[in-house]
Amino acid sequence: MATAEPYLPPSVGTLRTRVVFKVRRRRRSSAAIGDRVAIGLLVAITMMAFATPLLAPYKPNLIAGDAFARPSMHFLLGTDEVGRDILSRVLFGLRTSWFASLEVIASGVTIGGGIGLVAGTAGGWIDDVLMRITDIFLALPGPILAIAVVAALGPSLQHTLIAVAIVWWPFYSRIVRGEVKALAARPHVEAARLAGAGRVRLALRHLLPGAIPATVVTASLDVGNLVLTLAILSFLGLGAPSPAPELGAMVARGLNYLLQEWWVPIMPGLAVMFLAFVANLAGDGIRDLLGMA
Amino acid sequence: MAGLLLRRLGAMVLVLLFLVVVVFSLERISPTDPVHSFLGANASKAAIAAERHKLGYDRPIVVQYVSYVRDLLRGNLQMSLRTRRPVATDLVAYLPATAELALFSLVLAAVLGGILGVTTAARFKGAGLFRFLTLSGASAPQFLLAELGILLFYRRLHWLPATGRSSLANAPRGPTRFITVDTLLHGNIHGFTDAIGHLILPGLCIALIPAVSIGRVLRSSLVSTMRTDYVRTARSKGLREVVVLWRHAMRNSIGPALSMGGLQVGLMFAGVVVVEEIFGWPGIGLYTYQAIPRSDFPAIAGITLVLGAGYVLVNTAVDILQAVADPRIAL
Repeated sequence: MATAEPYLPPSVGTLRTRVVFKVRRRRRSSAAIGDRVAIGLLVAITMMAFATPLLAPYKPNLIAGDAFARPSMHFLLGTDEVGRDILSRVLFGLRTSWFASLEVIASGVTIGGGIGLVAGTAGGWIDDVLMRITDIFLALPGPILAIAVVAALGPSLQHTLIAVAIVWWPFYSRIVRGEVKALAARPHVEAARLAGAGRVRLALRHLLPGAIPATVVTASLDVGNLVLTLAILSFLGLGAPSPAPELGAMVARGLNYLLQEWWVPIMPGLAVMFLAFVANLAGDGIRDLLGMA
Repeated sequence: MAGLLLRRLGAMVLVLLFLVVVVFSLERISPTDPVHSFLGANASKAAIAAERHKLGYDRPIVVQYVSYVRDLLRGNLQMSLRTRRPVATDLVAYLPATAELALFSLVLAAVLGGILGVTTAARFKGAGLFRFLTLSGASAPQFLLAELGILLFYRRLHWLPATGRSSLANAPRGPTRFITVDTLLHGNIHGFTDAIGHLILPGLCIALIPAVSIGRVLRSSLVSTMRTDYVRTARSKGLREVVVLWRHAMRNSIGPALSMGGLQVGLMFAGVVVVEEIFGWPGIGLYTYQAIPRSDFPAIAGITLVLGAGYVLVNTAVDILQAVADPRIAL
């Protein structure tokens, strides 16, 4: 099997050529179907997140019926301790979680990628200094540091995002720098350099595109963890203040009712798991699609 | 080996000093003024100034940092704004419970991860279903696992307790302050099994995600090791597959799993905080959970320093262990 396929050395080619190549090759295999379903599901979640205000049957912060109504046709996931519709709150919570995760990943990729690109292209002492800083950040426990940062800034969703973004970049800096270093030794970069390309052009046009596939794969495998970490911080009371529909905080506040009205704390927890699961599945799918097993 | 040890320990000291810098600067930028919180809103200007002077907040920042590090080395961590006791005293009181739970979870994660990695390294039918299950395991937030565990094993089956470390009225309080060890030392078998029972649910909730990560990494490195020439040679000598796996492949494959285990400790600590609150486990996590809504930053600073130092120590140990397992590694 393997010999029949055309040879493509790992970690070469831009994102586009790789996806096209892989998809063309995978079209015949059935394994790719699961991957595509997962990615499709994630796209659907993203679209649902945009449309949440239209989809939610009730206002998330207003009383919709009796307190502690069991899940029924009327309230699909039941109501909470003051009678708010849990489904509506969960939908808004999913939207907050998902957008928050995307924001943090985007900032991590931008900050880390920028540092990695500069370090890998410049080399010498700049590389040394930047990578030592990265190593020191990598050597500290991110989630714990994030808790300390939010606690110092004061709890709010914005501060939580800042705190997690501060600890979420070093990994990307390592990856991009590694890819850039490996690419710099390749003939096409040498050719560009001989053709008189400047440092900035070399970095942006000839090195950065090659580092994108590895970064995309890492980021997509990382989103699930990020969803869980943000939910933990929200559970600990480090998110938006009380009535805001955040999944982790809903679990924490509903915990007292676990043994009697189980749906109050369980439903938001299941929503976190669903989001993390789809993100992880899609992450695996993207990795397979880009051929970075 | 000696060079490696020295380099790793040197790097560790550097990272710890940086951790202190981070916590120190967070304390300075924090908008809650510790003097105000400690004395209350009605304190007179003179009392505030006196307290500021006593705590050294009127001195230059560098002097403050130096005395901060000096205090730390003496084990002095300021006063908690909530409990009004020194943070160090609180941490000493809460640390054993957390250490016991964390160690138990770490062992559990290593064992489960090992089993997961080894059993899935061999190809078998239903691997797709298995991938589904491990992915679910990696996606389950600790609070959901804890809730479901309580509903199933406590409420429905009555197998396991849902709160605390022990149901003994007079649980032994020494010498190690690990209830499992202390009950054994006192020859109290019933107390020991009871303590283990209390550990199982919270331990599993914390261990599941790291176990899945360790298992997946171990699996992929085992699979690539099993394709090497020396494994083929070992097989062609007629060794049984189990022997090949344990004696020949494992040692070369364990490295990535070890470093994954070390990295997972950070997320594990965050899980400890959540799980301790849900199970009413009287440890550092519960202390954190109570400190957050009261903006008790001195307490959170102490927790961050202790857990951060724990993380750095574990990962230094992992690096050294890796070099022991695979002498080709010269970090």
